[in-house]
Amino acid sequence: MTGYWGTAWKRFKHNKVAVAGLFIVLFLFLIALCAPLIANNKPYIIIKNKALYFPIIIDYKQFEGVDLKKIDGYKLFPPIPYSYSEYDLNAIVVPPSSRHLLGTDEQGRDLAARMIYGTRVSIFVGFVAVFIYVTIGIIIGALAGFYGGWVDIIISRIIEIVMCFPTFFLILTILALWGQSLLNVMIVIGITGWTGIARIVRGEFFKLREQDFVVASRALGSKDWWIIFKHILPNAMAPVMVSATFGIASTILIESSLSFLGFGVQPPTPSWGDILSQSRDFIDFAWWLTLIPGFAIFITITSYNVLGEGLQDAIDPKQYY
Amino acid sequence: MRYYILKRILIIIPTFIGITFITYLMIRLAPGDFTSLHAGIEGELKAGSLSKEIFEQEKKLYGLDKPIIVGYSEWLYKTVKLDFGTSRKDGRTVAIHIIEVLPITLSLNILSIVIVYIISIPLGIFSAIKKDTVIDRIVSITLFLLYSLPSFWVALLLLKYLSGGDYLNLFPLGGLYSDWFDQLNVLQKAMDVIWHLILPVVTLTYGGFAFLSRYTRATMLEVINQQYIVTARAKGLSEKKVLFVHAFRNSLIPLITLMATMLPGLLGGSVVVESIFSVPGMGMLAFESILSRDIPVIMAITSISAFLTLIGIFLGDIMYAIVDPRIRLEAQQ
Repeated sequence: MTGYWGTAWKRFKHNKVAVAGLFIVLFLFLIALCAPLIANNKPYIIIKNKALYFPIIIDYKQFEGVDLKKIDGYKLFPPIPYSYSEYDLNAIVVPPSSRHLLGTDEQGRDLAARMIYGTRVSIFVGFVAVFIYVTIGIIIGALAGFYGGWVDIIISRIIEIVMCFPTFFLILTILALWGQSLLNVMIVIGITGWTGIARIVRGEFFKLREQDFVVASRALGSKDWWIIFKHILPNAMAPVMVSATFGIASTILIESSLSFLGFGVQPPTPSWGDILSQSRDFIDFAWWLTLIPGFAIFITITSYNVLGEGLQDAIDPKQYY
Repeated sequence: MRYYILKRILIIIPTFIGITFITYLMIRLAPGDFTSLHAGIEGELKAGSLSKEIFEQEKKLYGLDKPIIVGYSEWLYKTVKLDFGTSRKDGRTVAIHIIEVLPITLSLNILSIVIVYIISIPLGIFSAIKKDTVIDRIVSITLFLLYSLPSFWVALLLLKYLSGGDYLNLFPLGGLYSDWFDQLNVLQKAMDVIWHLILPVVTLTYGGFAFLSRYTRATMLEVINQQYIVTARAKGLSEKKVLFVHAFRNSLIPLITLMATMLPGLLGGSVVVESIFSVPGMGMLAFESILSRDIPVIMAITSISAFLTLIGIFLGDIMYAIVDPRIRLEAQQ
């Protein structure tokens, strides 16, 4: 690979810590994607009366309402044979053991299964919210930077207003009044978080709009939107990607803080922040309920930050002092 | 300079209106009628159990029967006169609530900012001097890890391991005063409050070190490479004098404006920290008002935190202009 991104990748590869961060990020992706295959109370396969069943993939009528764990015949279970909402009243707040790898919570739900599904929530919220605000930020920043003048003055004022917002408080207010759901969390973070991206894009556009290739394209009669999206934006994307990576880290942090305060996901959907919040009642003895979700949040945020850091150094070697 | 200050003050007004209007809009446009809005956690006003008359009265009381623009203008007019209305929860005026909680949160936050600066700036300068040595890397990695630690988790762990007595009993479990506060003399009272504030302040500050010290390090290194530093060295000044008189003063400039931008984040952080450590401050009031949908209190807290942030940014700008003559001159032209 050559070219701009190729060189950046070469530089990135030398940064061992950043590569490790990238691996953890990809690993978490894999967990989120394969959650039903890692933690499920249905077996992968059942062999019964010489027939083969795949209960995870296909819903069988004859198994409806049947506890698949008690069925006889050959069964192959996932590594964590519990679903995230399945409760075991005989095992309430039990420490990690061979039966429940990470222990259980106050309703006897398997912590490992809840942690794995919680990965989904974190990553999903992180990506969707950041996607929303990167989109808004790019459009607004591009308009300000490309047209300048009055457009820029108005947009800059709007940016200043939104930057002074007590964002976290506004998010709480909106969630309280508009209803608590994952969708609202993502939308609110999305519509309040775009200022950083808009400023970056605006700055890049200011730098690029007088460049020869832009002037040339204009001379050829290109429309504004073509110049903006085809010529300038690709050259402004590198710092946006860095900022978006840090953005995912802080969005995951906001989501877990919201869930911790009871404003995030709705039960029984598991979220790391929510698990941590419920652990407060058992903090004296149930160390696994406090340490494990907190550590997961910590590792995830660290990986995204390390990755962002690595990307920054790779695309902008000036930053090395 | 006078013109510059005036210009900055004039910018505060539209920003303040923008922030409060958007919050007001969010409250007014919320789906569900006023009854369900006001059901709250107490549930005492559930739809149906409330006669239509009282319902209309309440609506009128909060100006929710008027069009949004009129309602907002009335709210703004009252707010300028510092009349924030009465709290729905206990019927006391919101202003009294705010006066009770604001000093607590303000001192918590100012204390945190001061501590972040006192620790980060020397650390940043130190890392800049020791650039690329093992110790520089250790400092930056440690701070980076601290930065990634979720504060609510740290708060829980601090409470678990350092207070209450399960492991250690060094700090109180929360609150701002001990039960025996009344029997203490002035000095002991101060010590008691400080003792209660240590864990909340630690939770609010540790994440800020990384950002500020790296910023200091970067600006310091940028300044060190400037020609006038080379000149200062060439004319035989001691390294100490070069670093602390010539370099540091110039790298200080961007650090001043940063102080202002830290405010909104700290106020948001207070919600989490105060509710975990049960500190009866504005963050706690904010959280409670949101849970009980106490609209006058929500609006008051939004405007006060917006106002404080704007004042912070304003002071930052002024200080910037004082230390950097270029800004002043630019404003005059």
